[in-house]
Amino acid sequence: MSGLTLTPRGAFDARVDFAGVLPGVADVARLPIGYGGCRIALGELFEVAGADDGRVTIEGGSALLDSVGAGLADGEIVVKGDVGAGLGRGMTGGMISVKGSAGAYAGSEITGGKIAIGGDVGERLAAAGDASRRGMSGGVIVVGGSAGSRAAERLRGGVVMIEGDAGEGAATDLIAGTLVVAGRLGPNAGRGMKRGTLLLRSADGLSSGFSEAGEHDLVMLRVLARRSHEIATFLGAGVTKAQRYAGDLYSGGKGEALIVPR
Amino acid sequence: MILNGVEIRDSFAEAFPMIGTRLIITADTAKWAMIAAKTMTGFATSVIGCGCEAGVERVVPESETPDGRPGVAVLIFAMDLNGLKAVVPNRIGQCVLTSPTSACYAGMEGGDAISIGKALKYFADGWQISKMVGGKRIWRLPVMEGEFVCDHDTGSVSGVGGGNFLILATSRLEALTAAEAAVEAMQKVEGCILPFPGGVVRSGSKVGSKYKGMFASTNNFYCPTLRAQTETKLPPEVASVQEIVIDGVSFDAVAACTKAGIEAVVALGREKGVVAIDAGNYGGNLGPFHFKLREIMA
Repeated sequence: MSGLTLTPRGAFDARVDFAGVLPGVADVARLPIGYGGCRIALGELFEVAGADDGRVTIEGGSALLDSVGAGLADGEIVVKGDVGAGLGRGMTGGMISVKGSAGAYAGSEITGGKIAIGGDVGERLAAAGDASRRGMSGGVIVVGGSAGSRAAERLRGGVVMIEGDAGEGAATDLIAGTLVVAGRLGPNAGRGMKRGTLLLRSADGLSSGFSEAGEHDLVMLRVLARRSHEIATFLGAGVTKAQRYAGDLYSGGKGEALIVPR
Repeated sequence: MILNGVEIRDSFAEAFPMIGTRLIITADTAKWAMIAAKTMTGFATSVIGCGCEAGVERVVPESETPDGRPGVAVLIFAMDLNGLKAVVPNRIGQCVLTSPTSACYAGMEGGDAISIGKALKYFADGWQISKMVGGKRIWRLPVMEGEFVCDHDTGSVSGVGGGNFLILATSRLEALTAAEAAVEAMQKVEGCILPFPGGVVRSGSKVGSKYKGMFASTNNFYCPTLRAQTETKLPPEVASVQEIVIDGVSFDAVAACTKAGIEAVVALGREKGVVAIDAGNYGGNLGPFHFKLREIMA
């Protein structure tokens, strides 16, 4: 295994704030991190091995491990387990891979880079943070499992792919960008959606402000499939047609949901 | 220098810097991609009268186009960046946007950005849709047929305009036949276009005129019917001259294209009526790029 490896010395008794633990940080063992209500050196919680070459591996994660990769600009973080809230929050570049599941606000307000989560994610995937008006605005997020409520709320750009199901209120107030849901959509999706695109298997779950606009052969789908591996995977080979729904018309939105049955 | 009985004159083509861009035009069928490409590069033979010089560079196979449909690459050159910024959206708007099933994409990256969808989106009257995926922005403009898709902008390159050579032959048919052979060979060289009709100019010009306000006029030194009335560059056996003008994305591209064309003409040889190859220049004082025929063919 190359790069820096962080192995927990034992189970955590409190939430761990991992913000600031990024590839390229000097003397990571002495880096102060939040642990419950106090700050302690990272080395007290984790055994540190290897040398930093732009890649940090966390051996065995935990749902208590918050803000992993927050603000990442370059390099790679791999978590061989679960993470808590705020995964990659505000990230601008680089790559984060989580083999397990992630908590709430994963990919919140990221502007670039890629996050791949093998398992499920909590609420407000790629969404705007508390008191913030804009969610993720660039980059790619792929969730292998299902997402909690309000995924892609106020999404502003980039591609979010959920291979499983999306919870209630996905794409609420979505501003722009693309949300792909390969599984089932929870109720009230796209409410208040302004622009942007939902790529779905079924219209079930769309809020009542969406209206059908017919089936269309869209050149745009051909282009997106060649520029996004995630969208190409969702569409499948040779698919260029989609059923188009426009919405949220109740709020004057010009967004769309494109239904591409499997 | 004599090659296959054809004299390669000790002359050079004098060319100028131009700024250019490449676009990839696609459509549902190769036929309609070519119609859009030919239309948008029409009336673009000489920057003096048309504001730009443009032409089809090559047919792009489906496997190489941004949407997987049949495509055509076109190159457009103007004298300066502002000129290019004006003609490109105008031509796409009138000739590609309007052409059935077409789409228009950036054909090069880097250099100053030249607007495509950035300028054309307003046609959609507020219904335009932008998608930013893979680091590139595309625009979707709802039209009566469905949607027109295009990239936000394309790159530009500092290129070379006005490379040329002249084919001196013993008859009009032989001069044209040689020119056609040259064009066929030159169209295989990437990075170049031959902006004149079918790639050939039958009315090469000199700078200036006896008439006020005329920037260019017939090149009487190469007009066979004027042999008795004016200084001539034509030997007695030459009855017709055709010119081929080349614009390219670089000096090397224009040089390679020139060489391919002359080689094709030389292959026909004196036997097929080709007497000499010459080139047009202004004494070497106006254009910074000199394509010396004998060096190219050495």
